[in-house]
Amino acid sequence: MSALHGKHPASLLLFFAILAPARAAAPPTELAWSLKSDPRSLDPAKVDDQAAETVRFLTGGVLLRLNRHTLQIEPSLASSWNTSRDGLLVTFHLRPGLLFSDGSPLTSAAVAASVKHVLDPATGAPVAAQFLSPQAVTVETPDPLTVRIHLPRRVVSVGKLFDEIAIEPSGPTTEGRVTSGSFTIAEYRRGQFIRLERNPRYWKHDPSGAALPYLRTIRLDILPNRETDQLRFSRGQYQLIDGLSADDFRHLAQTNPSSVHDLGPSLNTEQIWFNQSVSAPLPAWEKAWFANRAFRVAVSQAIHRADLARIAYDGHATPAGGFISPSNRDWYDTHLRLPPEGTSVAQQTLTGAGFKRVGASLLDPQGHPVKFSILTNAGNRSREKMAMLIQQDLAALGMQVNLVTLDFPALIERLMHTQAYECALLGLSSVDPDPGSMMNIWLSSSPNHQWNPSEKTPATPWEAEIDQQMRLLGASPDDEVRKQAIDTVQQIVADQQPFIYLVYPNMLYAVSPQLTGVDMTLLQPGVVSNIDWIHWKGDSI
Amino acid sequence: MRRAAIVLLCALVATAASVLLWSPTGYATQDREQISAPSSARHWIGTDDLGRDRSVRVAAALLLGLAGASAASALAATLAAIVGVSAAFAPKPLARALLYLCDLFLTLPWLFLLMTVRSALPLTLAPLQSAAVTFILLAVLGWPAYARVTCAGTLRIRNADWFLQARASGLHPGRVAIRHVMPHLRPLLVTQFLLCIPAFLVSEANLGTLALGISEPVPSWGAMLLSLEHASAFSGPAWVFLPIVLLIVVLLLLQLLVTEA
Amino acid sequence: MRQIVRRVALRVVWHVARMASLILLSALGTVWLMRSAPGYFSDMRETDPRYAESARAELELQREQQKTVSGMTGKLLKGWLVGDLGQSRQYDVPVTTLLRPRVRVSVQLLLDGIIAGWLAALAIALPLSARRGSTGEMLIAVPSAILLAIPTGAMAILCLMLDAGGPILVLATLVGVRDFKLVYTLLRQTWTDPCFLQARAQGIGTARMMVAHLLPGIAQHLVALATMSVVLGLSAIVPIEVIFNVPGIGQLAWSAAMNRDLPVLLAVTLLMAVGVGAMSIFGAQMATVEAA
Repeated sequence: MSALHGKHPASLLLFFAILAPARAAAPPTELAWSLKSDPRSLDPAKVDDQAAETVRFLTGGVLLRLNRHTLQIEPSLASSWNTSRDGLLVTFHLRPGLLFSDGSPLTSAAVAASVKHVLDPATGAPVAAQFLSPQAVTVETPDPLTVRIHLPRRVVSVGKLFDEIAIEPSGPTTEGRVTSGSFTIAEYRRGQFIRLERNPRYWKHDPSGAALPYLRTIRLDILPNRETDQLRFSRGQYQLIDGLSADDFRHLAQTNPSSVHDLGPSLNTEQIWFNQSVSAPLPAWEKAWFANRAFRVAVSQAIHRADLARIAYDGHATPAGGFISPSNRDWYDTHLRLPPEGTSVAQQTLTGAGFKRVGASLLDPQGHPVKFSILTNAGNRSREKMAMLIQQDLAALGMQVNLVTLDFPALIERLMHTQAYECALLGLSSVDPDPGSMMNIWLSSSPNHQWNPSEKTPATPWEAEIDQQMRLLGASPDDEVRKQAIDTVQQIVADQQPFIYLVYPNMLYAVSPQLTGVDMTLLQPGVVSNIDWIHWKGDSI
Repeated sequence: MRRAAIVLLCALVATAASVLLWSPTGYATQDREQISAPSSARHWIGTDDLGRDRSVRVAAALLLGLAGASAASALAATLAAIVGVSAAFAPKPLARALLYLCDLFLTLPWLFLLMTVRSALPLTLAPLQSAAVTFILLAVLGWPAYARVTCAGTLRIRNADWFLQARASGLHPGRVAIRHVMPHLRPLLVTQFLLCIPAFLVSEANLGTLALGISEPVPSWGAMLLSLEHASAFSGPAWVFLPIVLLIVVLLLLQLLVTEA
Repeated sequence: MRQIVRRVALRVVWHVARMASLILLSALGTVWLMRSAPGYFSDMRETDPRYAESARAELELQREQQKTVSGMTGKLLKGWLVGDLGQSRQYDVPVTTLLRPRVRVSVQLLLDGIIAGWLAALAIALPLSARRGSTGEMLIAVPSAILLAIPTGAMAILCLMLDAGGPILVLATLVGVRDFKLVYTLLRQTWTDPCFLQARAQGIGTARMMVAHLLPGIAQHLVALATMSVVLGLSAIVPIEVIFNVPGIGQLAWSAAMNRDLPVLLAVTLLMAVGVGAMSIFGAQMATVEAA
């Protein structure tokens, strides 16, 4: 027996060896934060996801930059620009002496090549479609510092589009290794990290003449797991968190109260909608409920939005009535008339439409019990909580609601292809304050017209009216006409409730106190919108 | 020892049932003014993040989870025993085929089968029906890893001297298998049964992301365990650890119950 | 001599054929399961008005190319024969370039975790099982119940929060505690075998008996358990790698499953099939050694 006891210390030793700390935190020499996924492409022209967009913002030099704060278009590589009166000619004057990060000169020829590359249908650049008929656009370069772009049709707020076109050296794409922006890609390990290095030949300087950006290197870790993100931030391994969840905000606020920031309502909305598609594989009576305005209004009335904001978002959300957030001051409609909220008014609305309460359940005029499911994506705790709160709010009306959470591909198949769902709860993130960017959502013919996609002709008169107003918004150069149009659309949506808006989630960020010069914005890329000016506290610049 | 385990287990179930029966609020009732509240006279062990009474939810989850996971676990152990014992006694080609099937089963990504099953079920499936479907699926998919172990165990018995003697003295092979092999396999099967219970509880909750599992508002033990996968859970009230403590207690009691005195 | 060579050759052919058919069937099964699961022809970006159009165009193209399961499998298998695992659907790069650096990381993690788990399980089970009476069992019952009850993810988060341990510790604990239970049961049964009881009565040392009789006697068992550990480890590395952000196969497999990246997932399944098949061969060899 004694021989056996000798084995115990060995096993203990083994465990201690494993228990040794995984890695000690290194002192920060590079600014680090995380992207949720790998960028799908590093070619700045092919950007079609959030991660790639952030990388393009940090590396790509652009003719014009949209100031994420003031929403003004500011000159960047172009020192000045103008549009002709008919809106068909855009002229850019480049700054003299511009260089790419490898030292080669940046002239109008490179600009023309980059713009043409983006407009080429073979590239498949998402921004191209916004030029309305990209193939017909022509670019000319009368001299090395001037670029003229001829448009076949007027494009409303055309300047903004150039914020999305990175100017690259002519020839095949360098995938961000040679750029005209603040940083260049020094190293990329798929699934692990992207390391960016400062572009020493970036054109911008601070008032004292020092070259921007101040930071030398940036590391963007590819980190799908939000938990680790937060832990690494607390440990000082990351200095920024782009978009915190309400739960993480509370957790971080307990340990690092000075590092968390609530910027107030974002431009994003969370909403539920009923499936009104004619081709949906649903029983006829359910389709009748969903097409019934009174039914949708009653559901909207019964939802206690203040509870959703307080409980599901821990107070970091704002109850929503329409699709334009109060933060979007230029377009928000302060006179929007919403249906009154409350369980008893909802009951009245339903009674008025022939629904009746029998015991604990609600019956429709034909006697079918009102029973449906709310579909949402798995893994978003706030959304799941909202769905559970709505479940109870609607139970007060006698509606029996089931919650179903699905992974994204399965969810999207139901929403976009098979239409096999009754009600969905999802969010819409808005990247552009101009409601013209929501054209695809409101036009009844669009596949993204969620409640009834790809209608051949508008199914209802009010959808026809929305179509008309949205077309006006898209075509008119007059800001007043555009505002009028979007106000009308907002009112129709409030009256008809095709989308039942729930909350505007607040924009939540975490920024390490080691940094200064961080200017957070609601618009993407939020926490690093002024990356050029961010620097370490105490660093001499 | 064993009797004490039975008594304690019954007491646990009885307590859970009485909490569920006599509580003034249901497991789904949201007390929206008492979100994540600490212990109080109204809510003995506080409320969860939607203001639902934690004691009622834990009690309901315990009853449902215990019934579901032990049934599924028993089914999986039985399937493993049937396949393992058959493979050990069957003629060589059949035995090989069975083991081959186990291997194949282990390599396939069943996640997608679960997704397909879910898409074939109606979205308005009641939470309890969904729970039943999930536990059955878990049992049906959970056996192959254990079948190999059972097979190895049976082979050892088959080659043991006493067994050969029994066969030689003319006992019917089927009878031998039931009368003599099963008692020898029991400890192995019991261990498998115990190992499967926590695994199935957690798997049930994991399947929630595929819209299987116990759906809200019915409480799920597994989901309560999984909520500990978030760092923010550790900053909340200590009651969030109650489900895990109960699981430990239940596992210990079951162990006592099934181990031979 | 020639006969022995022939027998060995036959056995090799048999194993290779078994492995090949296992791979083929898993491939067919994977393609079929994934292709028929909901969401194969959908893309998250479809709901984003900015990217919807390019996503839809991509899907349309894929739908054209991947009409039948047999066609898809055939094409992929043809590629495999020449060492081409196909093109990843989510990253649009060859699967081989994605897999190569990750295989090493995961295999290392699995080996370390499983070996550590096994050593720990054996180190505790061997001496405890040799004790008469059930005190050993009682000693270990509470810690093992605790470790069994804590979900992998919670264990990993705890490690991260305490900044102690790492993926290997979690994997080792996970494998160790389950194997301990089975190994202990097995050893306990063996020790109570009449022959061992007799040997002990004759005063043969426990350690000698363990090395000379006990371990060889249950070798095949241990192999069966090892197969199970590998399977358990393979399924556990997914959450472990995701939480600890280890750039391994598990992390890739998870994102492949969530993004319906068939070529990547198929390659991972192939690796699984090779792993499980290899363990089977190993087990069969042990059985023959034992029989001899």
